[in-house]
Amino acid sequence: MMFNLLLLFPVIACIVIFLFKQEKLNNFFVIVYALLHFSLSLIYLLNDSQRFINNYFSVDSSNVIFLFVLSFVFLAVALYNKRYMYLEDAGQKQKRHYTYMLLIFVLSMTGVITSNNLGLSWVLLEATTLASAYLIFFSKTKNAIEAAWKYVFICSIGIALAFVGIILLTISTGDLSSLNYYDLILNAHKFNPMWLKLSFIFILFGFGTKMGLAPVHFWLPDAHSEAPSPASALLSAALLNSAFYVILKVFNILVIANADSYVRVIMFIMGFLSLFMAAVFIYHINNYKRMLAYSSVENMGILIIGTALGGLGLFAAIIHLIGHSLIKSSFFLTSGNILHIYKTKKIKNISGLLLADKKTAWLWLLSFFGITAFPPSVLFISEFLMIKTMFMQKHYIMCLIFVILLTIILFGLEKAVINMCYGEISKEKEIELKENAKQLSFLMYLPQIILLATAFILGLYIPFNLSEMIQLSVFGL
Amino acid sequence: MENAFIILFGFTMLYVAATSRLMAHINVLIFQGILLFLICTTDMNEFSIFNFLFIAFETLIIKSVVIPYILGGLIKRTKDYRDTEANIHHFYSLFIATVILFIGFLISNINLPAMKMINPLYFGVSIAVIIISLVLITTKHKVISNVIDFITMENGIFLLSLSVAKEMPLIVNLGVLLDLFIAVFILGLLIKHINTKFDDMEISHLSDLRDCEYDV
Repeated sequence: MMFNLLLLFPVIACIVIFLFKQEKLNNFFVIVYALLHFSLSLIYLLNDSQRFINNYFSVDSSNVIFLFVLSFVFLAVALYNKRYMYLEDAGQKQKRHYTYMLLIFVLSMTGVITSNNLGLSWVLLEATTLASAYLIFFSKTKNAIEAAWKYVFICSIGIALAFVGIILLTISTGDLSSLNYYDLILNAHKFNPMWLKLSFIFILFGFGTKMGLAPVHFWLPDAHSEAPSPASALLSAALLNSAFYVILKVFNILVIANADSYVRVIMFIMGFLSLFMAAVFIYHINNYKRMLAYSSVENMGILIIGTALGGLGLFAAIIHLIGHSLIKSSFFLTSGNILHIYKTKKIKNISGLLLADKKTAWLWLLSFFGITAFPPSVLFISEFLMIKTMFMQKHYIMCLIFVILLTIILFGLEKAVINMCYGEISKEKEIELKENAKQLSFLMYLPQIILLATAFILGLYIPFNLSEMIQLSVFGL
Repeated sequence: MENAFIILFGFTMLYVAATSRLMAHINVLIFQGILLFLICTTDMNEFSIFNFLFIAFETLIIKSVVIPYILGGLIKRTKDYRDTEANIHHFYSLFIATVILFIGFLISNINLPAMKMINPLYFGVSIAVIIISLVLITTKHKVISNVIDFITMENGIFLLSLSVAKEMPLIVNLGVLLDLFIAVFILGLLIKHINTKFDDMEISHLSDLRDCEYDV
């Protein structure tokens, strides 16, 4: 019952906004939905007895963490979104459409994470593409059209290939005529291994397109850089996780069917290719939102490497996912502040951020420290555990490449972030920038502070409950 | 009987590969929709009226009326009737398509125990159709022809889903149909905007976003 509210609320909200067409309603419903989402998933997280399984949806130990991360990020984005949309120079109708699509986008992501049927996950994941297309297209410039076109077209093709994978999976299941995850896991040992392996290749490439794994990540930097900052934060911190969740579910079936050794190699290749791509492009980057997008590609690569390592690596991957979502959403939201102050996305046109707006500059620097896994950051723990797993499994060369690529990425990010924060600006320019910075309200700093604080506190101390829950989610997948 | 339809379905892709008139591509889409309907009905083991109505709606209404109508309207609106400057000459494009289709037929003759679990001819032809569509997407130059090839790929996937004797749950089938429809709708909207913002419908206009800027 409670859960149905989560699925029905956005639909009702859209209808009400459509009927009354009041600008105040836009933010009101986004924030109410975010609060509702957050409180419900908090209840599911803390109270096992509230979790449930029905025909199409379920909340259990495997997805409750994903659900909570989505809620947390969405709450931060919803708070930020209020002022951002107020400052955005757009018509009433455009803002209304944006609100519809934002609500539907979050609804479909919630659906992907909670659905327990592979077919339904597919349908809802394609729905996320279609809903977020408008968010990317929002500014209606030539570049936005290009980004939206690439996004819809590449992701639709990728997801169509994933559907081929699902069909192949149904071939491998033999007599079983169900795509329910529980049924699939129970009967996994009876599946035909050839079709199962073939199907996973398609599913990995198909949903990997959506998740932003190299070599099928090309839509990602364009889409993330053209979307408004709150939408970029959701795309990067929530959408990529949903696609990862589906891959993880199917991968788990392969592990149980004992057909995973061969696909692990492909996952390693894709993961390291993602790191490599990110390293190459971040080194010479000229647009800071694209830089963050490539950093997402990198982190998705780390997630898939952790999954391929298995065991402790998978545990580290889940921690990494939590940390990445928190820090990357803060990073993207702060980039919205910078865009408002400087009105440009070019790195070389920006300097002296510390002079122009101290708070934004410090958020920018702290997000940078967080994402590059400086010790109090939770990503430090996950990356450390991952390196440890590589040592335990005697993948020494792999570990060396991993560390070198991460260092190059760190250097690339550092170069851009430091150049933006420090440096001289002329007096007139400084006054102009400060004038812009004054328009930013308290709500454009608070969400990032909460996100970063959570990420750094988790780095110092992971509550026992949480680590137990992560272990359960690794086992329960 | 359905084998003849399936082979005909494979041959329609050769026509798409060989011609540059976009209206002819639209006609192929209509024809493919009808063929898929015939394949479904001749293949049906047990007749149930609900199932029949759903398939008729999916193949006849959506695939051969609504989508071709939307795309045809777009072509008339943008006054772009030909995709002339493809990367590959039509002859080579036809040649590649033929080779892939031939490999598809070969696949359906492989004698593996795993192939016993499916209907091989469906499998071979549908894989060939999917791959030919992907090749054509990379070689064609107009945005509309990319959308058309995307639809032929979806038709290929539909045929592939028929190769499995089992049926997907209805909610999945409906969702797939809805997603396809909305995807075409959104791509259509984007095409309208491309038409107003850019001079013509060449895909090469959509390559401004990049990472490195060279000072020339």
